[in-house]
Amino acid sequence: MWPVSRRCRMVAGGRRGGGGLAVALGLWAGSLLPGGVVPAAAQGVPVGTAQHAVGTLVVVRTDGIEHRLQGRGALPLFEGDVLRTEAASQALIQLRPGMSVALNEKTTLKILSRWDKTGGTMRILRVSQGEVWAKAGDGARQLEIETPAAVAAARDAEVDLKVAEDGQSALTVVQGTAEFGTPFGLCSVRGGTASVGARGAACTAPQPANVPAVVSWKQAVSP
Amino acid sequence: MRAIRTFHATRSAFAIVSLAALGGCAELQTKEPEASGSRVFIANESSNSVTVVDGDSFQVIATVDSRNHATHDLAVSRDGRWLFATNLASGRLSAIDTRALETVASIATGDRAHVVTLTNDNRQAWVANIGDNTISIVDTTSFRILGTIAVGKGPTGLTFSRDGRFAYVSNQGDKTVEVIDTASHRVVKAIPVGTNPHFLVLGPDGRIWGTNTGGTDIYVIDPATQDKVGSINVGPAPQQIAFGFKGLQGPNAYVTVAGLNRVVVVSADPKNLRILEQIDVGQRPNGISGNREGTRLFVVHEVSNDLKVIDTGSSSVLATVPVGRKPIRVVYHGS
Repeated sequence: MWPVSRRCRMVAGGRRGGGGLAVALGLWAGSLLPGGVVPAAAQGVPVGTAQHAVGTLVVVRTDGIEHRLQGRGALPLFEGDVLRTEAASQALIQLRPGMSVALNEKTTLKILSRWDKTGGTMRILRVSQGEVWAKAGDGARQLEIETPAAVAAARDAEVDLKVAEDGQSALTVVQGTAEFGTPFGLCSVRGGTASVGARGAACTAPQPANVPAVVSWKQAVSP
Repeated sequence: MRAIRTFHATRSAFAIVSLAALGGCAELQTKEPEASGSRVFIANESSNSVTVVDGDSFQVIATVDSRNHATHDLAVSRDGRWLFATNLASGRLSAIDTRALETVASIATGDRAHVVTLTNDNRQAWVANIGDNTISIVDTTSFRILGTIAVGKGPTGLTFSRDGRFAYVSNQGDKTVEVIDTASHRVVKAIPVGTNPHFLVLGPDGRIWGTNTGGTDIYVIDPATQDKVGSINVGPAPQQIAFGFKGLQGPNAYVTVAGLNRVVVVSADPKNLRILEQIDVGQRPNGISGNREGTRLFVVHEVSNDLKVIDTGSSSVLATVPVGRKPIRVVYHGS
């Protein structure tokens, strides 16, 4: 049923000469509020920087322009960028606010976001293949990592996510707790444990993991 | 036409009397027994918006900014609480609160997000991304992307079987409809259907109906055999299909045929597909949706930028409602 109050406003607005102007001004003012603006698709505002690459990090902008980072640097990253490491390459990026992400070799990911009225903008990494390590620091907003078969969400947590060619995704939580899900079920994965999400199945029950071994690859690009 | 005018005159008179007698807004609500809450939602691709129309009075209630670009397809939840809209140019899905009449989330799905369909339990929205050749699976509560399914070239239509065991995806580039097992998320079959297949919809008998927009025909797939079991030429560029009754006759399939500026009426029996009637409508009809009773059709027109309401009993136009620019899709939700 339609809320009574909404109908009332609409009836009243239509009967007062200044109502339309007031509503328009209200909407305009509302659009200036931080929570009321959807992040633009245009690549106008950097969302982070690529800071270090062992080998080469390739960044492909939404218009197809490619940039390469080798060694240390401060390459701005924008929403919609696709980041790619080849064999024997690794990279470290920083995303705002306060998120560190490392890419292992043969990794491809896209930087995205979701906006919702309640929570604002959520940073999303869509990993199509490879392996990433991510740390969402204190007070940072939740970071989500999507794969073809699963999604991991972390706040104040450190995680490693490895994505196989068929999309199978192995999440290891280094510290904190992460939510992990597939279209068939959700898991809460705590520090020191790991879960696997595969196509057509729920995530597996978390099992103890050899965390130092899992994340040892990132030493070369550690912050 | 007289009947229509009488209908509107009666409603108007009722409204005037109610206003004069009451003068208070809250009281007005209590004295409006006709309000059923049925809604018609229209995606306006070139206005980046959704027009909301009262399903009984055919008056525009609101225009909702999708907060994205090129709003194309719509899916409404069974309870009418949520509306999901794809946005081709943004590659995003807008989640619209139908009570507040505002977009409350914008979800990145994939390149050229084209169509959206809700799973039968409404827990997931499946979005076909024509630029990525993927289906994105969106959790309708958390708005997270739970996974993606690779499909054929240019997915443009999407629907589920009655039992939810299968999803059907039409692929323009492959000229096929792919069948996805929803238990495994694997493509289990590709059915050749014709030129530039586009819209797909679940029919009243559980069969899947589709249009070959690049050709002149519509076709029917039987989920029991996963085969194409019928097709019929309806005219150039058939777009979308809804179902309804004409008195005792039916259910009939009502097909918007853009090249004819008509709605072509086809018997909905796949063993005896035949054209029953053609109804003149506006310029380049595209989206079509029917009310639950099958007595009203809502048709939107890409060029004339309007919604026409058709009475299936008389095959006449009851009302023409201006909407946004380039309306593509219309969905009806009853109270």
